Amino acid sequence: MLDRLEAMALELERRPHLLRLGRLFSETILLQVDAEEYLLHFERGRIAGIETGPDRKIPWRFAFKTEFEALQAFWQPVPAPGFHDIFGLVKIGRARIDGDILVLVKNLRFFKEFMALGRQRDGVHSA
Amino acid sequence: MIEPICGRYVTIETGGRKNRIYFEEAGSGRPVLCLHTAGADSRQWRHLLNDGEITASNRLIAFDMPWHGKSLPPEGFETEEYLLTTDSYIETILDMVEALQLEKPVLAGCSMGGRIALQLAALHGDKFSGFIAIEASDFQPAWYDIDWFHRPDAHGGEMGAALVSANISPHAPAAERWNTLWMFMMSGPGVFRGDLSFYTRDDSLIGRLGSIDTARAPVHILVGSYDLTCTPEDARRTADAIPGATITVMEELGHFPMSEHPEAFRPFFVDALGRMARSP
Repeated sequence: MLDRLEAMALELERRPHLLRLGRLFSETILLQVDAEEYLLHFERGRIAGIETGPDRKIPWRFAFKTEFEALQAFWQPVPAPGFHDIFGLVKIGRARIDGDILVLVKNLRFFKEFMALGRQRDGVHSA
Repeated sequence: MIEPICGRYVTIETGGRKNRIYFEEAGSGRPVLCLHTAGADSRQWRHLLNDGEITASNRLIAFDMPWHGKSLPPEGFETEEYLLTTDSYIETILDMVEALQLEKPVLAGCSMGGRIALQLAALHGDKFSGFIAIEASDFQPAWYDIDWFHRPDAHGGEMGAALVSANISPHAPAAERWNTLWMFMMSGPGVFRGDLSFYTRDDSLIGRLGSIDTARAPVHILVGSYDLTCTPEDARRTADAIPGATITVMEELGHFPMSEHPEAFRPFFVDALGRMARSP
């Protein structure tokens, strides 16, 4: 999973429109996948670092918590209904969002498109 | 190429207030009045209005609700909180039917337009020849906070677009996905929120579904599998409560089918038109 997240960070660097959308986004986000925790440090729309948790000393702004299987389904080139969007995962009970959800909503397009960077490239669609 | 769609304005008086309404139309024959979703406008119907085979025997008309698209808000809006209600929505549609002198049109509405189409089927079924209710259901409370979309510190349109993108199918062509989202991005401040107030808080349709007379005017419901807001389960529950209503689930479509994926939606709409009664 860490390899995938690091690859997504590199993909982010290759997308000027995402860096522009995220230019005011400097937050730490918790991504929980089953029992594994990853702290994504965003700095002006770039990933400045990824730490593996759990680490109770590092505060985060919001958390996206899901399952490995659900995330794999989300990352399919053409996901099945419900698995096609991070809010879809929440709606079908395969993910939850904790913390400052308004910060997520204010940066929703940026975060959705970042999460979709894990999708196979030949089937990329914009979150 | 110049498209066959023709746009005009008409002023109607609804609730004692004048509203200058933008509408566009194409075709001739049976009138089909088309209602857009929350937070958008009549452009959602542009592909069907440009479909020569459909408009050969159907006069398709789509209008922008007050506050939406090219229809200005009523005078005094600057101090007003926009909140759409079932009564004002019904009155606006009936006023448009009268203003355009439409004789028993088919009413085709999507999302909140589908919801109000079913309200009209229940309360004014004698004025229409049939109802195509797209992504329509009895009621769902919000799974989001509608106040997110009208704040002084953020762009409601951009947030709204990012939210509703969850309802677009991954099968939709990218260009039409983004055209669909653009309408949400450019909707007026507080308009999406005001529409959602109607859509997520008024459950009065539930008790009226059983009174819809589909022998007088057919009701056909269309729902996309990728619609998270009005799911196939929501639409089936609604169809089951309307005696004689029919339903089709569209496997590769989402909440804005006529706009997000017009090519895939077309056969479903043609089939729905075929189920509507022809006026004598």
